[in-house]
Amino acid sequence: MRRRRFLLASLLFPGLAAATAATPYAPARRGTALEFPRDHGGHAGFRTEWWYVTGALDLPERDIGFQLTFFRVRRRSADALDSPFAPRQILFAHAAVTLPGGRLRHAERAARAGLGAEFSATDCDVHIGPWRMQRTGTGTGEHIRLRALDPGFAFELRLTPTQPLLLQGENGWSQKGPRPELASHYVSWPQLRAEGQLTLDNTRRTASGRAWFDHEWSSEVLGEAGVGWDWIGINLDDGGALMAFRIRDPSGATVHAHAALRDAAGRLTRFGPQDVSFAPLRHWQSPRNGARYPVQMQIRIGPHTLRTTPVIDDQEIIARRPLPLSYWEGLVRLDGDLRGRGYLELTGYSDRMAL
Amino acid sequence: MLSVVGLGKRHSGALRPLFSELRLAVGSGEVVALVGESGVGKSTLLNCIAGLEQADSGEIRIGPDALDMHRLDETARAALRAARIGFVFQAFHVLPTLTVAQNIAVPLLLNRAPPAEHGERVESLLRRVGLAGFGPRWPALLSGGELQRVAIARALVHRPALILADEPTGNLDPRTADEVLALLLERVREQQAGALIVTHSRHVAECCDRILTLTPDGLECAHPAGPSQGGRSHHPEPHGGEPTSPPALGRGLGGRVVQ
Amino acid sequence: MTRLAWWLIRAQFLSRRSATALSMLAIALGVSLGYAIHLINAAALADFAHAMKSVQGEPDAIIAPRDSAGHVPRALIDEIARDESVALVAPVIETRVRLGRDSTAVRLIGIDVFSAAVLMPSLLPRDGAPASGGILDGGLYASPTLLDNLGLKVGAGATVIRGESRWETPIAGDLPALAAGEALLVADIAWVQAHFGPHAGVGELRVRLMPGSRAEAWRAAWAKRLPPGLDIRAAADNAARIANISRAYRVNLNVLALVALLTGAFLVFATQLTAVAQRSTQFALLGVLGLPPRMRLLQVLFEGVAIGLPGSALGLTLGYALAVMFTRVIGGDLGGGFFAASTPTIVPELLPGLGFLILGCGASLMGALYPAWLNRIQPLAQALKTGFAQRPPGDAPRTLHGRRVMLLAIVAVIPVLTRLPAIDDLPLAGYAAIALVLVLGIAAAPVATRLAFGAMARTTLPAPLRIAVQNVLQAPLMAQVAASGLIVSFALTVSMVTMVASFRTALDQWLDTVLPAPHYLRSKGLPLPRELLAALELPGTPFVRVERMATGSLSLDPRRPPVALLVRELDRADPGARLPFSGPVLTTPNGEITVWVSEAMQEVHGLRTGQTLHLPLLGRDIEVVVGGVWRDYARQFGAIAISATDYRELGGRFEVTDLALWPHPGSEDAARRWLAAEAARHGIESAESADIRRLSLSIFDKSFAVTYALEAAAMLIGLFGLAVTLAASVWLRARELATLSALGFDRAMLARAVVFEGALIALVGLALGLASGIAVGAILTHVVNPQAFHWRMPLHVPWTQVLPIALATLLAGMLASRFAARQATALPAAHVLAGAQ
Repeated sequence: MRRRRFLLASLLFPGLAAATAATPYAPARRGTALEFPRDHGGHAGFRTEWWYVTGALDLPERDIGFQLTFFRVRRRSADALDSPFAPRQILFAHAAVTLPGGRLRHAERAARAGLGAEFSATDCDVHIGPWRMQRTGTGTGEHIRLRALDPGFAFELRLTPTQPLLLQGENGWSQKGPRPELASHYVSWPQLRAEGQLTLDNTRRTASGRAWFDHEWSSEVLGEAGVGWDWIGINLDDGGALMAFRIRDPSGATVHAHAALRDAAGRLTRFGPQDVSFAPLRHWQSPRNGARYPVQMQIRIGPHTLRTTPVIDDQEIIARRPLPLSYWEGLVRLDGDLRGRGYLELTGYSDRMAL
Repeated sequence: MLSVVGLGKRHSGALRPLFSELRLAVGSGEVVALVGESGVGKSTLLNCIAGLEQADSGEIRIGPDALDMHRLDETARAALRAARIGFVFQAFHVLPTLTVAQNIAVPLLLNRAPPAEHGERVESLLRRVGLAGFGPRWPALLSGGELQRVAIARALVHRPALILADEPTGNLDPRTADEVLALLLERVREQQAGALIVTHSRHVAECCDRILTLTPDGLECAHPAGPSQGGRSHHPEPHGGEPTSPPALGRGLGGRVVQ
Repeated sequence: MTRLAWWLIRAQFLSRRSATALSMLAIALGVSLGYAIHLINAAALADFAHAMKSVQGEPDAIIAPRDSAGHVPRALIDEIARDESVALVAPVIETRVRLGRDSTAVRLIGIDVFSAAVLMPSLLPRDGAPASGGILDGGLYASPTLLDNLGLKVGAGATVIRGESRWETPIAGDLPALAAGEALLVADIAWVQAHFGPHAGVGELRVRLMPGSRAEAWRAAWAKRLPPGLDIRAAADNAARIANISRAYRVNLNVLALVALLTGAFLVFATQLTAVAQRSTQFALLGVLGLPPRMRLLQVLFEGVAIGLPGSALGLTLGYALAVMFTRVIGGDLGGGFFAASTPTIVPELLPGLGFLILGCGASLMGALYPAWLNRIQPLAQALKTGFAQRPPGDAPRTLHGRRVMLLAIVAVIPVLTRLPAIDDLPLAGYAAIALVLVLGIAAAPVATRLAFGAMARTTLPAPLRIAVQNVLQAPLMAQVAASGLIVSFALTVSMVTMVASFRTALDQWLDTVLPAPHYLRSKGLPLPRELLAALELPGTPFVRVERMATGSLSLDPRRPPVALLVRELDRADPGARLPFSGPVLTTPNGEITVWVSEAMQEVHGLRTGQTLHLPLLGRDIEVVVGGVWRDYARQFGAIAISATDYRELGGRFEVTDLALWPHPGSEDAARRWLAAEAARHGIESAESADIRRLSLSIFDKSFAVTYALEAAAMLIGLFGLAVTLAASVWLRARELATLSALGFDRAMLARAVVFEGALIALVGLALGLASGIAVGAILTHVVNPQAFHWRMPLHVPWTQVLPIALATLLAGMLASRFAARQATALPAAHVLAGAQ
């Protein structure tokens, strides 16, 4: 996915002068066979990578949304530098909790790999300080552990797979635009059972629910036309999983779109740009930066007509580290031909961040 | 106004007491002269009455409600002096750093009289001692007679019960002395105070109502020479130049000599 | 009653304008000095704390190596970062570098921009040259002040040099958030580490904990887990370190200001005493008229406050002006050289100002205390008739006996006080002993006057002189007061002169031992370029001998300034050839690591020769033997010398920072030329021992200039006190002098008698002052200096300075009494005799 192209502002791009001794970014090649757990690990040669978990908890209350994302960005200017602290890989993380009837709580961390942060190249194991996402075990003992800590909230969750991995696109090679080099490697893991603890206002309570794991890495991403995207990842109530996205141009028109639906029996259907459309039904305007987010959408995927409804309107995330950036990322209910809960992501709507 | 009973004083180290068992009284409106040879203890007696020196025995009562100076502590004695006694000294003792009016106002300040009254009382006294308009002047520019008039005004301004005067005319020429003395007597009588005047001057003594002579053996009482005139309406003539006849002593208040 | 008090105060001030004004001025002087010192120090400390905060941020904990050559290992960074209570770790590498040819040593701070953004926002860079990339691309950022100072431009290339390491990089931008006056460089920590080390870690780790964490408990828990080479401290400890650096200096200056205030109090004493004497008749009259005795006491105290209040207010104003002027002209640097270029803003706060106001009034009140008491106990009738009674009536043998017992007690207590240790690093017992010596000196004045004048009375003197002597014997109070003023001021002067001279003599001798070589090369804490060291190894250099030294620092106590570590090439069998030992020197077998500690170490850490000691050397806990204690006047907070051989054996890198060089006999000029060329080439400092010696002594003299100024002020106040009291004593005797004049003594004879009396009093004062002064000087030298500054030195009384001052004071005293005599005898005798008051 190209959805976080907007994160990669100038700070994270190498300067022109310093790039001489650097090795180039690895391209996302069609036909690359992914191997697990190795490919759960970081792919340091690619420019960007993220490990992304969203989910909905029904304990301690219904419809509590949570997300934890670790980002990795490669910088090439320090490739030749002989230092264990050379800023070759920057890690940052966002965590959020949505409380129905309340508001979104958000926290972030950023560090370079090697100074209080690290990622594994052989398995999913990434941390910034005490924040961590780690896959362990095999078979029925396989888990992903999450930990995020902040004064406002904290969670420690154990995610247990109930279904196999979902390789997006062509066996994990996911095209992002009209040109074939605009692509990423993209692996999803829907319908994870989540159990653990959620701490709110210094009160720790047992939590459980359903989660969705994404892992995506790429180098050459968004084309010149794109400014942002709309994306959903929904665990369907019947055990199925739905992922859809579109990339918008400055006028709001779709540059590229794609969707994948896996039903409870494991049958996978892919939909091309012509079969996928997003139409705003209702906007919510951020009081902080004035951005208008289409928090309620009508989404058409092949024969299915769907509607999203946010648990609360204000699920905007305003991050400051390593650079200021705003986007909407929140728990929604899906109604219509398919029903379920999952996350809607709306990027590129903030004036400040418009590319 | 003043009543002294059984007063005795001996200086430390002295063989015999300076005086003992003295008894004297000064009535309202009465002026009593205290005479005697040098060193006989006049000043000490005066100091004892003023509470500046501690007598060895006896009682000293001053004023209408007869407080015993002898039994009070230093602070209370100072307060009693401030309230009940006016002083006139041979050396005037007018404070050189205060104006005439300020000098006269000092007893009012010591008695915490309401400040609003000060100006008027000081002015009226200045008029009555013949120094009208002298208020803002500095003492250094005044003559001896004027200074002593200031002192008299200061001694009277707070309407004390008793005036103690130590050779009030000793530093003045005879003419001025007469004027000042006449003024003093007139004002004392006018205010119905009592006065005890220590003097070597026969002339001064004869102006008084009574003369007490202090000898090593005690006090002797005498009436001044000249025709005795009853009543208190007779006052010395300020400008007469001659000693005038003192008034007769008050009823039953005459000093007695007690050995 | 208050109106009367006010009338009297006004009358008093109007009639004695100059004495009152001078008393006020003396109080103002003391207050202004104290207040100015307080303001400058407070401003400099606040400035320093602010600067430190902007560079250091406000971390909850700082983990740093105890050895300046140490580091915080990488693994520990990760371990701490993973701690659940930790919100953020900010690793920092700070080092000193040079830029190109410039010889200035500049701070270079390597930061991790992700953590610095939260913890040290003042250090965040601003890109100014797009082609150079950002901080993560290895750009160098200079503070605006540094750009100005060195004439650098954003976008230009720079060569960063430390030792043999060079780093060529563009100046990519500046540091806009940094306060003006801060000259430093910032770069990414990785680039700094790659070029200048440390090899396997970072220089310092700053930790921000999660809100609500208990920082102290967290630090304590980690303190137990850290390896021996590291310590953990609070940010406040760093501030305490800074405050500690200048604390002793500040306290000493404040004590000097207090001395000025005390002399002011003495002047109030003299003025009020004479005022009471001169107005005894007036007060007696007021007493007769009924002024309560309490008021006679209070009136004089009121007058003391009436002097103290405007004096202190003036002092506060002067002090503020002085502080502003000082910081504008000289800056707020306390001698540490940390922020030499900064001009701290003087901010007067209410509470300290009020404190100094109260102090000034208190001093004035103290001066008025005895005169007020004397006024209270005057016998009224007698005072009204004969004037001031000098001897209080209670001065019976019983009180004399009591006084003698008290004096003996003081004499017994002083030696005890001088043996007490410092309290919280301050020589409080020493200061108390000094105060007692002065009390003793003053208390001895009556005895000494009686003895001196008694002896004079037994000799055959001309009549007027005998009368003067007799007079002082009968009524000694004024003479005693005049003498005690001189005792105090002369004692202070003698003690200061003695202390400074002792120090200077000791410093001079010390410089001989520590500067054995004719030439020195140094590079301000940076390692010397290897190129230069290699050049010295080549044959044909004009030097017969070269000794190398490396400097570092060890943090032995997180709340104290670090201790200097000197790695020297010296003969372990004979360290005395290079270090000026002040005690026995131990020869230790090879293999036993030996260090030689400075006297400050001995003082602060209670070390003895021969004892073992654990040092946090090179990240390890190493046991060493103290081989001896040497004198060091250069490093107030202590220094540890170790031989280069031992240091290398421990695995230390001998990074040479200083060189001592001995030229071949006959090739001194060639050596000079060789050094000048190398110094210019590498941007380092070359100096001859004579220059260093001259510079050291001139710095010494400059730093004691304030002391000299205070001495002069004390002397002037003492003399003025003498003049005031002599004039008063003569004035009180105007009638007696007039009588003598009427009896046939001529004016010159009388004047001679008074001058003789003045000289005799001055002599008594000077003699006692000299004795007390030497005693105080000895306490300063042997107790206060070692305890406050950790400097020991032998006592040296500079007679060539003390005696001329004494002579000048004597002459000034005689002049003052001559003036007083002339004033008293100028009045026509008849007038005086006639005047009753």
